[in-house]
Amino acid sequence: MNLILIPIILPIVSALALLLISERTRYLKELLAICASVVSLLAAANIFLLPAQTVSYAWLGSAISFTLSTDTLSAFLLLAAGLFSAAISIYSFSMPNKGPAKWFFFNLLMTQAFASGAALADNMVAMLFFWEGLLVFLYTFIALSQTTYAAKRTAMKAFLINGATDICLLVGITITGYIAGTMSMSEISHNKLTLDYGWSVFAYVLLLIGAVSKAGAFPFHTWIPDAATDSSASFMAFVPAAIDKLLGIYFLARASIYLFVLNGTMQLVLMTLGAVTILVAVMMALVQKDYKRLLSYHAVSQTGYMILGIGTLNPIGIAGGLFHMINHATYKSCLFMTSGSVERQAGTTDLSKLGGLFRAMPVTGLCFIIAAAAISGIAPLNGFFSKELVYKGTLDTGYTIFFLAAELGSFLTLASFLKLGHSVFFGVRPENLKETKEAPFSMLLPMLGLAAICVVFGFGAQLPINWFISPSLEALNIRHGILTGFHPDKLYFLSVIVILAAVINHLLGLAAGGGKADKASDHIHYAPVLKEAYAMAERRVFDIYEVGMDRVVPAFSYALFKVDRFFDWVIDTAPSGAAGFLGNTSRRFHTGSYPLYMALTLAGAIIYILLLASNGGLK
Amino acid sequence: MDKGLLAYLLIPLLSAVIIPFAARTRPKMADILANVTLLAGLANLLWLALRPSMIAGGFADIPGDGLSLLLVAAVYLVGLCVTFFSAYFIEEGLPNRPAYYSLLLVSVAAMTGVVTTTDFFTLYVFIEVLAVTSFALITTDDSSAGIEGALKYFFLTFPASVLIIVGIAILMMTLGSLSYENLRLFMASDAPAGPVTFASALIMLGFIVKSGVVPFHTWTPDAYQGAYAPVSAHLAGIVTKISGVYAIIKLATLLRFFDGRAQALSEMLMFLGMLSIAVGALAALKQTNFKRMLAFSSISQIGYIVLAAGLGTPLAIMGAVFHLINHATFKTVLFLNSASLEKSTGTTDMDKLGGMEHSMPWTSWTSIVALLSTAGVPPLSGFWSKLLIILALWESGLRVYAVLALLFSIVTLAYFMMMQKKVFFGKKTPASERVQEVSAPLLAPVVLMSAIIVALGLLFPYFYAYVKVVAERIIL
Repeated sequence: MNLILIPIILPIVSALALLLISERTRYLKELLAICASVVSLLAAANIFLLPAQTVSYAWLGSAISFTLSTDTLSAFLLLAAGLFSAAISIYSFSMPNKGPAKWFFFNLLMTQAFASGAALADNMVAMLFFWEGLLVFLYTFIALSQTTYAAKRTAMKAFLINGATDICLLVGITITGYIAGTMSMSEISHNKLTLDYGWSVFAYVLLLIGAVSKAGAFPFHTWIPDAATDSSASFMAFVPAAIDKLLGIYFLARASIYLFVLNGTMQLVLMTLGAVTILVAVMMALVQKDYKRLLSYHAVSQTGYMILGIGTLNPIGIAGGLFHMINHATYKSCLFMTSGSVERQAGTTDLSKLGGLFRAMPVTGLCFIIAAAAISGIAPLNGFFSKELVYKGTLDTGYTIFFLAAELGSFLTLASFLKLGHSVFFGVRPENLKETKEAPFSMLLPMLGLAAICVVFGFGAQLPINWFISPSLEALNIRHGILTGFHPDKLYFLSVIVILAAVINHLLGLAAGGGKADKASDHIHYAPVLKEAYAMAERRVFDIYEVGMDRVVPAFSYALFKVDRFFDWVIDTAPSGAAGFLGNTSRRFHTGSYPLYMALTLAGAIIYILLLASNGGLK
Repeated sequence: MDKGLLAYLLIPLLSAVIIPFAARTRPKMADILANVTLLAGLANLLWLALRPSMIAGGFADIPGDGLSLLLVAAVYLVGLCVTFFSAYFIEEGLPNRPAYYSLLLVSVAAMTGVVTTTDFFTLYVFIEVLAVTSFALITTDDSSAGIEGALKYFFLTFPASVLIIVGIAILMMTLGSLSYENLRLFMASDAPAGPVTFASALIMLGFIVKSGVVPFHTWTPDAYQGAYAPVSAHLAGIVTKISGVYAIIKLATLLRFFDGRAQALSEMLMFLGMLSIAVGALAALKQTNFKRMLAFSSISQIGYIVLAAGLGTPLAIMGAVFHLINHATFKTVLFLNSASLEKSTGTTDMDKLGGMEHSMPWTSWTSIVALLSTAGVPPLSGFWSKLLIILALWESGLRVYAVLALLFSIVTLAYFMMMQKKVFFGKKTPASERVQEVSAPLLAPVVLMSAIIVALGLLFPYFYAYVKVVAERIIL
């Protein structure tokens, strides 16, 4: 069997085998899942090290060639998916809140397999096949993670939002393939499509919707914060933080750079989308009172940087976007893991009930600090370098406003992480948390590993750039200059100013909030104008899904119900009424009266003879 | 007269003469004689038609036109089922037991005569013999309903005899001969039709009345409902089909409807067929008595056969013949089941029955098979015959008739499902308490017939080959 198939087939086979294992066995399911994901990771690493290769099968007769190709970008994605799958499966070994182990690992391995397939597929139909498969496991992942009704509801929300945008993707891929005359992405890239006419613009916009929705950008992000509360930290660390970002940004890059040549308008659209996502989500993150929910808004906000980076369309920005993608997956996964540890050890993720846990959970706290510093772009961690690249790319386009928006986002990010870290790990420890202990080793190990990656990718930023990002850009056929190197230029000093501003803001907030860390953002939360906006957001006025479900769907359903009643009347009530009426009439007519019957017989005979005679029977 | 099949007419007649003498002291002898006669005849027929060499040769060596042989087999089959059923159904003390069997055998002989004859006068004679035996059979149990049914049957079909005899007279005067062959040759020639067609139309009308096509159907519900229970099955299953519908199909082929001769008559026939389908099905929908509902269902199903006969194309004739055979099978099952119900519960009123599927599972299941076949549900035999008819209608451009025929087969399913629900499903009613399944001999005929329904459906390709031979021979 070809090596390429192992990261796809092995997890699927293991996931199916998991279902056969008895519920009563302990650790067997966990160990099987860990083995499968680690072996897949090793296979992915092997694939990454080998030169690019292609596997092709005829599919659906010979109409579509099922092509998997390991160009450097795809292999990079495959490696990342394998890494996070392995990390999360080890992390979940002793994680109690993940739901039934059988189903958790089944969903995890299936998600890994389908994500690997989507990353490797060169044919767009094959990619769509894997992409849609992920949708199924997204639903089951959330729905089976808790037994509550809210979990089912959120699962349905995630399913419907992603289902609707996946249909956009499907239509977009169909049109793209039709215009290009081939479904193979590598063939299209030799002769890229331009946005000169309506159909190609339409196709690109649909692909864009599919990609950014997968990545969880505004306005398709609304299921992610809900999933943070209604699902497990393991799920959040794996799917919305890692896999979805990887695939969404990967396909956004493919579509925007590899398949299409974008024009200035579309560049502006992408950058606006990125900036709006950064700001809207980070504003929401700032005022959250729940550990996981706060993180989930950041998972949305950081997507904005990646979209902004890719939207710049210049090599530095794209490199920043892709680098930020892998960095974000690393530290956000790590952050969700810390939230899972805190939830497991302290029993809650409510910020007002937590505090001072650093002494009780030093390793978790350390990982949190590293990851939080990374996400806030503090030098010299990995987040700093990727954000730096995005900023540079943005400045190079000449649109300073997007740069300012990104810096503002950076400021708010740091502010909210100061609040989060302060209220969870520092300050006064509540009475009921006095006995709290450190999380078990199986949870700390992947956390430490990811935190280490944050540090290594920061101090040795040329390492990932040279190993992953430059080859990825080459796979996208982009020529680029030198991307690495630490420059103590204006941008660096600006980032220092942002850090200082965030610290000052935090101190101000603490003073205004009476020293309580979880109220450190209240001066922004209840500021004039913002207060009303937040209140509306709390009522989900801006959530397209909820508004649709509340306003549009009931009306639409009612209309459909009426239409259904009408058809029901046409095919059921009316015919059975008519048949009943005629049947009753006929029944009443058959009275058994002999004279009536005889008269009918004779009259019938006479009419028969007359009709025949007049119609030429006698001719 | 088809001489090859003459024995099938004479032997039952002989048995009918012997029975009263043989059964004078031992009434059971009547049962045995009648059953043995019919069973022997049926075995003989099956060997004639279904021996392996015959099937392998695609039925090319079938004697006569093939239709006669098929219908004689159907007559014997239904006759055997009815006599076998009767042997265990009739109460011990019934005084006219030998007469009953004699009449049944005479009726079988007369039907054999009807389907084997080749001229109109012999046809007329056998039809009248059949009618007389039927009147007598209806009144077997001397009930007032039976006598009312018999009288209605007699008086309301008597105009038919008048019309047939007048038609035969005109035919004799204009054509100079009464044989089928001469009429066929005349219609094939270019001679102006005129009085010959008119005479044929009158004869046709007579048979329409005898088949119970709307609006001449009024005798059927009362006769079927009032008749002695096994006799209902005999009448509905085969007698009215042979005495009316068979002759209509025969005339349709003789008058060459398929090449446009006698256009007006053809259209009239199709209209009456469609009317029967509609009125029969709609009236059946609202009946509360099982047997009466079956009677209206018969009217509706005859409508299909008449509609196809009126169309007259080879495919339609095949459909008509096949539906005739199918009707004999499923209607016999349903009427015999109604007789079983009557024996077990003492009533056939559907409002008083309920939940019978637990106490009478065999009756319930055979009913389901029969009703699904009637409604034309694949893969049962009724599906294929209706399919042939509807296909023939569609091919001939009669889209409206085709769609209506399809729609009313849904209505057929509707009223039969209502019947099944009322009688066999649901909760038990007081009348259905402490009811037991009837004895195995009473079930044997219906199980046999159900098996035939399924077998004809599944082995349709063979049967199609046979019916195709028939259609080729009687049309070309």
